[in-house]
Amino acid sequence: MHRKRCLIVENKKTAPGHWVMKLRCPEIARAAAPGQFVQILCADTLDPLLPRPFSFLTADSKDISILYQVVGKGTKILAALKRGENLWVLGPLGNGFSICHLSTDYLLVGGGVGIPPLYHLARTFIHKNKYSPADIHVFLGARNKSLLLCEKDFKKLGVSVYVATDDGSKGHKGFVTELLLDRTASVGRKVYRTRSANIYACGPTPMLKTVSALAQKYDIPCEVSVEVPMACGFGACLGCAVKVRGWKLEAGSKAPNCRFAIGCVEGPVFQAKELVWD
Amino acid sequence: MGLNLETTIGRLKLKNPVLVASGTFGHAREFEKIIDLKRLGGIVTKTITLKPRLGNPPVRIVETPAGMLNAIGLQNPGVEKFIGEKLPYLRKIGIPIIVSVMGHSVEEFVKVVGRLESEKGFDGYELNLSCPNVRYGASATKTSARMFAHDAVMIKEVVSAVRKMTQKTLIAKLGPDVSDIGAMALAAEEAGADAVSLINTFVAMAIDVEKRRPVLGNITGGLSGPCVRPIAVRMTWEVHKRVKIPLLGMGGIMDARDALEFLIAGASAIQVGTANFMNPRASVEILEGLRAFMKKEKIGRIQNLIGSLNSDE
Repeated sequence: MHRKRCLIVENKKTAPGHWVMKLRCPEIARAAAPGQFVQILCADTLDPLLPRPFSFLTADSKDISILYQVVGKGTKILAALKRGENLWVLGPLGNGFSICHLSTDYLLVGGGVGIPPLYHLARTFIHKNKYSPADIHVFLGARNKSLLLCEKDFKKLGVSVYVATDDGSKGHKGFVTELLLDRTASVGRKVYRTRSANIYACGPTPMLKTVSALAQKYDIPCEVSVEVPMACGFGACLGCAVKVRGWKLEAGSKAPNCRFAIGCVEGPVFQAKELVWD
Repeated sequence: MGLNLETTIGRLKLKNPVLVASGTFGHAREFEKIIDLKRLGGIVTKTITLKPRLGNPPVRIVETPAGMLNAIGLQNPGVEKFIGEKLPYLRKIGIPIIVSVMGHSVEEFVKVVGRLESEKGFDGYELNLSCPNVRYGASATKTSARMFAHDAVMIKEVVSAVRKMTQKTLIAKLGPDVSDIGAMALAAEEAGADAVSLINTFVAMAIDVEKRRPVLGNITGGLSGPCVRPIAVRMTWEVHKRVKIPLLGMGGIMDARDALEFLIAGASAIQVGTANFMNPRASVEILEGLRAFMKKEKIGRIQNLIGSLNSDE
């Protein structure tokens, strides 16, 4: 964990309401693993007060980049910043995706602004772990064509890309999970009995819920990255509770076996089977 | 010029007046990679209860203008696991450790402290009489008070019960949602507290207007951050005039100048809380800022600042 004042190298709009910011921070960049995140203080004033969490889109030896959607006070300020300005960055934080070497098929499922960490993951698989792009299948979902993030970037990596949009303006009209089901249902029964696979997902909660159910049905290991409001980002405030399977508080209690995991340190990536969806 | 930042809280000598507030610093380990923990005046742990607590359902945190609401619900592993898993690390840091404890009843306070009394390696208790996010048991509600800190009689009962059990420094943490904070501090003093900490968070609420629902899972939460600071300073000043025991002042301290306001108003030490979430180095930066201020103002001893308010009152 490093806390650095970082130079903004680039801050540009890449889709309606979506921006990519590149920051110079070698210490954080070198330590960053896919699925981990940084906390960024959007301003040096007291309002907004708390830092905002962003997963990595990329991290190389010098720079990190984040892809963010302008949704509120903090991200609005970020979008107005120019190259040459500086921000406080804390990271890398949290528990990222596990790199499973046993697996031969990697199914990456992303929705909306949940896509960026999967791009970091795919890049790491190919560039660092030397996995074949042919084994990586990426399922991307968005409301419409213009909000489909990172599609070209994934294609440049040479991985298979499957696209779904809510309005059908590109790819399959409907949910990205339907594309995943197609693949796991058709290929799954034949292939995944003898050949292993791993699912990695990040996106809206209903999508993650469906992906988790699918993974369970076809018995495919699945990791999901959840989004949860947080304050500190490193386990001090216990604000980012995520309900997971756990122990009974008291013997004989009728309460279900669950506990609140701390999303910023135990997550944001969880084994799907651990999570309890309300 | 050699600076003397030493201050005293009850039986406890602190090498400087900068502590970290309960519930904002975990059990310290979370910060070891980013600050030298030994530099702190002391650490107040996350509140410990007799039994483990799951905490409140999400959402637990929401940002508000220059502040935040939290409704964690005292998630903690319980006193046994605290002793087994957290205390050994805290003990090794080598600075004063104050264990924050809470009970749902007077009896439970007594049980938690009773269990901790058989352990070594910490220096005092802060009685959390003022958590806004938990339900209290029968002995707390017999006066229909929302929490112990809302009722001078209840404060006295808890403090005197615990006082009988320990020789360690005993601090009562007061809540701000009362009509006369001085009376609450006086009750703690009369019951034998060595010091009072003030203030805990304000009971507060945020509403999602589209959903017409409270934002927090617990409906209400505790407001903290710089937005509460002027009220906390005023309360510190009021309490300083009413009691003789030392005060630990807190409430939205973000930098050294904020800390100085509390010291000048009469606090013998300060606690850094919400600022830890924005900047995990905040506590040591505040300490450095205090030193810089003392040098600039040519003040050799921090004691010369404490309660140094010039007013025409």
